[in-house]
Amino acid sequence: MSLKKQDEMDHNAWLKKQDLTVIETAFLTTLIWLDKRLRIVDYLELLETMYYRANLQMPKSHTEQYDLDNKFWYWYPLYSLGSLSIIAYLVAAVSGALLGFYYSPSTAGAAAQGDPTAAYDSVVMIMTDVQFGFMLRSIHSWAAQFMVAAVFLHMLRVYFTGSYKEPREVNWILGVILIGLTLLFGFSGYVLPWKQLSFWAAQIGVEMALATPLVGEWAAQLMFGGFTLGQATLVRMYILHVFVLPFVVTGLVALHVGIVWVQGIAEPH
Amino acid sequence: MTDDTTPMTDGGTDEEARTDGGPPATVPPDDETPTWSERKERSQGLAQLTYQYFERSRREDENLRAESTYVERDVLGFPTWPHETIRNLAITSFFVGIIILIAAILPAHYGEPANPGATPGIILPDWYLYWSFGLLKLNPINPSLAVLDGNIAMSNEFLGITAHGIVFGTITLVPFLNKGGARRPVEQPFWAAVGVTGVVLSITLAALAIQNFFPISLDLLLTLTFMLPLAGGIITYAVLKTMREGYMYDLNRRYYMLRPPK
Ligand code: HEM
Repeated sequence: MSLKKQDEMDHNAWLKKQDLTVIETAFLTTLIWLDKRLRIVDYLELLETMYYRANLQMPKSHTEQYDLDNKFWYWYPLYSLGSLSIIAYLVAAVSGALLGFYYSPSTAGAAAQGDPTAAYDSVVMIMTDVQFGFMLRSIHSWAAQFMVAAVFLHMLRVYFTGSYKEPREVNWILGVILIGLTLLFGFSGYVLPWKQLSFWAAQIGVEMALATPLVGEWAAQLMFGGFTLGQATLVRMYILHVFVLPFVVTGLVALHVGIVWVQGIAEPH
Repeated sequence: MTDDTTPMTDGGTDEEARTDGGPPATVPPDDETPTWSERKERSQGLAQLTYQYFERSRREDENLRAESTYVERDVLGFPTWPHETIRNLAITSFFVGIIILIAAILPAHYGEPANPGATPGIILPDWYLYWSFGLLKLNPINPSLAVLDGNIAMSNEFLGITAHGIVFGTITLVPFLNKGGARRPVEQPFWAAVGVTGVVLSITLAALAIQNFFPISLDLLLTLTFMLPLAGGIITYAVLKTMREGYMYDLNRRYYMLRPPK
């Protein structure tokens, strides 16, 4: 193989022959310089191929295929509710991670019944001392409420467009699990500040668990760490809220959306 | 690169491509990969059944594809960039913006520290669990059995749990109870009515949970909790049934001629 320059591929000579503005020349010079070293062209080509694969050959939409009119257009905005659930979930995740820097899941520090605990104080601290903390807690709380609302409305949209029918039963069942877990997310989060209502909501939870035959006591132990509420309850709710549920819900949402990807959206007939 | 035109991968005729002494370096050509039927013959029991099914399923797929009149065509949908991307960015920013705005004007409130010794007058979860809380307040309708000397058959708490089970169980079963190709509520007034009943019930149950805020008797509230959803369902059914006549005519002409109902 010869080391002699291959003249017909002398890009710089080609560049000089063109009548280009300064900007164009600078751009092309940079591109050529980078491409000689990194073969950018290959990647651009790959991207281009992907772009055309994604865009150029779209099957006819259901409405087109069967020549249906667009009577159903007013349903379409409701199809974004699933995505809105995910967005609210992400906002809650980010704000929750930031809250986690300051919150401490501990019932220590109460000298007498009804005194503030460490958990309570840490939330007070977030709201009064931490820069932007009041807003952060507010955003986390509202993101959670928006998520629950979006998930519920998403379920209604799926129901009233009949999108749960064959072959989407599995995704419907996954959805039922997801809405349950979303509510559990909300419940466990509600307990964390260890305020009066947190405590008594958890108390009702324990009583419910204990009233269940056969598995009741076991469930109360598992979820609430005992039959009376205390440090163990708070830590269990905390681990559920910041460790177990995030992984499980994220995984199931990925599966849920993956199935939608594989099966396609059920377009209204 | 080379002007040698002989295929080297499976022909093995190119001397230079030979490895030391061994046979030509080849990959098994495609037809050496066992087919479903070969794998089926080699296996037995459940595995064989699986392969048998795969074979059928694949044949069905091929047949369907061959018969299909599905049309592929050039761009008619929105391209991912910029249309879809910009739209999604707009929706996302708007939604996140709304969350932040609401968080700013209605900040999360806070309450007293937990006190195991003092039960508050009103215990409430967040609003989205009101319906669940309402289910726990169904004790007035807990049937008492004469056989048990007027004792109730299950504790009030367990009634609440059972109610939750029924709610989640019913929702889970929906796809297995309502089958077929219909999608629009007008096509199936009954199922639309069931849906509306459920939605109204979730609202009236929430109202039951915050019964202290309603200046009406508990009996009346309990009756309304079940009667309002029923009324909602009946009205939905009546309206959709009426709409159906005219609506279905159009729909049938355009749609069922193309896709006969199963
Ligand atoms: C964490 C909660 C959930 C998330 C993040 C989520 C997300 C999504 C997304 C992004 C889609 C794509 C279509 C759309 O956006 O409408 C979808 C579709 C679907 N979802 Fe969900 N979902 C959730 C809960 C549920 C629930 C509670 C149900 C029902 C019980 C459900 C049942 C379905 C079904 C059947 C589809 C397919 C609908 C179709 O093909 O038109 N999902 N989900």
